[in-house]
Amino acid sequence: MSAATKRLVVVAEHAQGRLAPVTWELLACARQVAPALELEITAVVLGQEPQPLAQEIARRSGVKTWAVEVEGLAHFHGEAQRLALAGLLPRLEAQVVLGAHSTSGLDWAPALATDLGAAYIPGVESVSRGADGPAFWRSAHFGKAREKLTPETWPLVLTVQPGAFEAAPPGEVGQGKVEAIRLSAPPCRTKVLELVEGAGADAGLGRAQVVVAAGRGVGEKENLELLRRVAGLFSSAALAGSRPVCDLGWLGYGQQVGLTGATVAPRLYLACGISGALQHTVGMQGSGFVVAINSDPQAAIFNLADVCVVEDLTAFLSALLEMAGG
Amino acid sequence: MRLLVCLKQVWEPESLFDLQEAELRPRSPLRRKISSYDELALEEALRLKDRLPEARVTALSVGAATAVDALRRALGMGADQAVHILAPEQPTPRPATLAAWIAAWAGEQGFDLILAGGMSEDAMQGAVGPMLAAKLGLPAVTSVIKLDAGSNALEVEREMEGGRRQRLSVQLPALVTIQSGPNQPRYPTLSNLLRAKKTTPLTIEAVDLAAPLEREKVLALAPPEKRRAGLVLEGDTTQKAERLLAILRERALL
Ligand SMILES: Cc1cc2nc3c(=O)[nH]c(=O)nc-3n(C[C@H](O)[C@H](O)[C@H](O)COP(=O)(O)OP(=O)(O)OC[C@H]3O[C@@H](n4cnc5c(N)ncnc54)[C@H](O)[C@@H]3O)c2cc1C
Ligand SMILES: Nc1ncnc2c1ncn2[C@@H]1O[C@H](COP(=O)(O)O)[C@@H](O)[C@H]1O
Repeated sequence: MSAATKRLVVVAEHAQGRLAPVTWELLACARQVAPALELEITAVVLGQEPQPLAQEIARRSGVKTWAVEVEGLAHFHGEAQRLALAGLLPRLEAQVVLGAHSTSGLDWAPALATDLGAAYIPGVESVSRGADGPAFWRSAHFGKAREKLTPETWPLVLTVQPGAFEAAPPGEVGQGKVEAIRLSAPPCRTKVLELVEGAGADAGLGRAQVVVAAGRGVGEKENLELLRRVAGLFSSAALAGSRPVCDLGWLGYGQQVGLTGATVAPRLYLACGISGALQHTVGMQGSGFVVAINSDPQAAIFNLADVCVVEDLTAFLSALLEMAGG
Repeated sequence: MRLLVCLKQVWEPESLFDLQEAELRPRSPLRRKISSYDELALEEALRLKDRLPEARVTALSVGAATAVDALRRALGMGADQAVHILAPEQPTPRPATLAAWIAAWAGEQGFDLILAGGMSEDAMQGAVGPMLAAKLGLPAVTSVIKLDAGSNALEVEREMEGGRRQRLSVQLPALVTIQSGPNQPRYPTLSNLLRAKKTTPLTIEAVDLAAPLEREKVLALAPPEKRRAGLVLEGDTTQKAERLLAILRERALL
């Protein structure tokens, strides 16, 4: 048996020279996983100039961090990241690898698990401790149930659901060690040509105290008028939508709430005909008070709601408007 | 150009389920459909075929006997060929197992481009596509919202957090997973449906295909976690509306 310390390796997520907040959530998850397995928690930052970000992680979390300079990796590039990690992780004695269940993590983590012959558990939302080590909970079946999994072999690659773990409080907790590694450009068959900035969230959306959000359950574009009138009942309200409503062109992408849209935290979030997929709820779970209207009594959104209204939304909103005199 | 689209048949998301002995069972009537991202992946393949008439589209689904309905719909939408990998519904295969089965058949077919959904609507893993690519030694790009194919390369746009996008070129053969965008899936046409009726999908038994031992085990199934109060309003529509207005006023939200 090797005497080397086995490690849990957190793969930092970053864009435009800044760490993504989910990186701290990965570290929070790591703290729940590592002790039972007697693993050392470490982090890696991959990029063209990884030093400043690696320093930041080491300073704010105290964990040993590798600044992995990958030739040519100026921006996120899933294939380059996957190939670099596949070579690197065995050298680091990685027993557990943590990435984000984000558009970036999903671009490298499952393929990496295959490359490493690793077990793979995606979208982890919580960790429980059993006699034989940790078990991992994730949403399944349209969010209508949770499943609990354990790996049967090692190493293990996990992706962590953004927003599920409390991020470690910011601040300086003592300097972790930073070590530099340099890798030459991996032999990629994909090439990043260009980075296109998003349109950005609608300015009104971030400011509004009340957000009335439309989901696919709105059914027809005309029904948006009802939501608009409900928004009119409040002094500071904005209309928002889930992804499918924006895809249909009923609302602009600037009004999309969620992982690939805006994050909002109004005093009141009124979810109308939204099923409650995690990619949507990560963008609204910080709201003060949540009311959900859905005709499916088992819709996942009801688990995140303060008030649940099981109704057809057109009938219900019409009644609400009539009663409020709006 | 030869295209393969991986389709998963799922229950209607709005079906009601009962959790019994660590198994989730839909209450009858049991309705199924193609997982939404997979229908979008098929739509993208068919759009390529509209532009490149020599292209051929194969639809593949792993599942129980019912998966044939999903494949018939795919043929109705315009797929040329259907392949059914017949596997028992329970226990649900792990993503690596699904990828291994698909790879075992598709590896020998010489597809130029494989399309999968960004994630399955029910399991939400986002795993089978990239794992399949890794098994076949193909490059993969996930979360693709736009694609354009040349003779031996592909240009794609993938979406990232906050609506940022990334344009990439990809050498063929390759695999892409499709994220939703403005394109909506087409409806089956009558002539295609008639043709589909006469087409028997190629059926392969999963037990005859090689797959590694599963590396993860599902230990339990539980109801979702309630993260907020979840007060369910009672009464008829008017009473519920009245109650909601009262709650909003009490909390000075209205
Ligand atoms: C990488 C990635 C990123 C993503 N990013 C985002 C994102 O930023 N934002 C986002 O929203 N999604 C995002 N998604 C998509 C997300 O996974 C879901 O598919 C989406 O949020 C579903 O939208 P929905 O709830 O409106 O539609 P559905 O899931 O179709 O739900 C419609 C709901 O309406 C209900 N309903 C139907 N009719 C009625 C009626 N008459 N009255 C009342 N209720 C009714 C139904 O019961 C159902 O619950 C992303 C997906 C991926 C893979
Ligand atoms: N049973 C299946 N048969 C065919 N393709 C599948 C199956 N399960 C998953 N896939 C494909 O893999 C994608 C991702 O699924 P998942 O990893 O479960 O999120 C789906 O969108 C499909 O394209």
